[in-house]
Amino acid sequence: MSDKAIDIYVRPEFEIAELGAAKNVDIERKLSAWERFSNINAVRKMSILLGLIFIWQSYSWISGVEPLLFPSFGASIEALWETILSGEMFEKVWITVYVLLMGYAAGLLFAALFLIIAVSTRIGSDFLSTMTAMFQPLPAISLLPLAMLWFGLGIPSLIFVTIHSVLWAVSLSTHVGFMSVTETLRMVGRNYGLRGIRYIFKILVPAAFASILTGLKIGWAFAWRTLIGAELVFGAAAGNGGLGWMIFEKGDNLDTPYVFAALFMVIVIGLIVENVIFRNVEIRTIQKWGMQH
Amino acid sequence: MPSDGVASLYVRPELENSETKAAVVGDIERRLTLWERVINMDPVRKLSVLVFTVVAWEIYTRTAEINELMFPTFSATAKALVISLVDEGLLTNVWNSISLLLVGYCIGIAIAAVLVVLGVWTRFGNDLLTTLTAMLNPLPAIALLPLSMIWFGLGPQAIIFILLHSIIWPVALYTHSGFQGVSETLRMVGRNYGLKGFGYIFRILIPASFPSILTGLRIGWAYAWRTLIAAELVFGGQVQDTSGQLGAEGSNAGGLGWIIFANQMENQTPYVFAGLFTVIIVGILIENGVFRNVEDRTVRRWGMQQT
Repeated sequence: MSDKAIDIYVRPEFEIAELGAAKNVDIERKLSAWERFSNINAVRKMSILLGLIFIWQSYSWISGVEPLLFPSFGASIEALWETILSGEMFEKVWITVYVLLMGYAAGLLFAALFLIIAVSTRIGSDFLSTMTAMFQPLPAISLLPLAMLWFGLGIPSLIFVTIHSVLWAVSLSTHVGFMSVTETLRMVGRNYGLRGIRYIFKILVPAAFASILTGLKIGWAFAWRTLIGAELVFGAAAGNGGLGWMIFEKGDNLDTPYVFAALFMVIVIGLIVENVIFRNVEIRTIQKWGMQH
Repeated sequence: MPSDGVASLYVRPELENSETKAAVVGDIERRLTLWERVINMDPVRKLSVLVFTVVAWEIYTRTAEINELMFPTFSATAKALVISLVDEGLLTNVWNSISLLLVGYCIGIAIAAVLVVLGVWTRFGNDLLTTLTAMLNPLPAIALLPLSMIWFGLGPQAIIFILLHSIIWPVALYTHSGFQGVSETLRMVGRNYGLKGFGYIFRILIPASFPSILTGLRIGWAYAWRTLIAAELVFGGQVQDTSGQLGAEGSNAGGLGWIIFANQMENQTPYVFAGLFTVIIVGILIENGVFRNVEDRTVRRWGMQQT
């Protein structure tokens, strides 16, 4: 360093005598009606949806693809309408939703039980983390053959696999949430003399609600996937069931428009649960409490 | 304070402790005994929980004399696992599942990447991506299996199609929302460097939103793994013999799900349990071996995630 001269580049001084006025540029102008219209989010998304439907419909008309392989949008909607009118659709939806609710509720109950034990004792905490580490990576659907062996072909088997798919996902993320509650909040709870169940419900649950909700959402997603899958397998083995079974049965009979109708229904239920139920819970709890933006 | 009443203040009587009792019981500092030090080690406690569960299982099945077809003993399960690993080439079945999964995972990520890049570049692409993910993410991939079987027949293509579906949407959803959450400061840094197009995406957006991309990849893997096992179970129900159709030859055709299904059909319950153990082990290996490592080397090293 010392024996080398360092060249420093010095920027020459200059001065701009005259700023050219901006030409042909609107500094401010009113948006045209079209621009304002296409700036509305809902309008753009609706038109994309309509565009996709249009492409689907014209593809199946023009290419003359076999309707058994790929029905037109119109035929699918017709099938959906027909099954809704005849009440068949609601019957299937009800069976599926009933099993889902039973399994979900029972899964949450078990998860709560495990968590209460895990919070109160160290051995319980170790037990829970070992069990979740073991069972979380095991797809619930792979227990279906065993469930069929133990409970027979029927709703109890479906509930069993649904419980399994909810239980570990919810326990895992709730437990992680509980463990990361700050020491300050815990001490506040202890200062108030809270113990046992009241300590859990007044301190731990509200403080860890964000990750509990994540667990509930993941649990729902797994349960929904597992249940539809289980009903498909049942379709292969016995003959009684909800939406998954309907998809399987109609697919087997090459009633493809009805398969699409059932798929629409699966999407609609998924959208309702995710965007209406969970979204509302989120707005009323963690967003209101300022835990999520 | 009421205006007409006389406020009476409670004055605490003065008191002075003439003698503070020395702590009688509590040690201020002491060495932990050997037992306490052993019990404080996490792996020791967890391992003993595991051993205890296994022993309880073995004792229960032996003393209650449960039919082995309903609930086999642990030793029978372990024996079945060893036999199927050594003699029956269980690893071939594992490889059948994993290779299908890998093919689907790679193609799925490529498609998701194209969708997300379009979503970053144009507003139309953005709208298309959000509409498609909102519609198709809640649809369980396995529900498409009957359609996929009609379109592609009984074979690996049908399974890869639904694997794609189970991977593309969560990965695209998380990556896209991660990109949207990149702070304006980082974006401006990128623009200041004159980055555009792919340079901008690879040098600014991807590193900045890597935690959320990783979450998407993890959820995609979890869905794909579950979908694959379920699909193999359904295939098992659909055709009793899938040999030659799932890529491999002879008795080792089919993947793990198929093995579980086939053994259950033949009432080989210990082998069903052995299959389940294998599924768990593969799951743990991928979770903790692959994703853990990627996480350690990226988001944790970069200080984007604690613990």
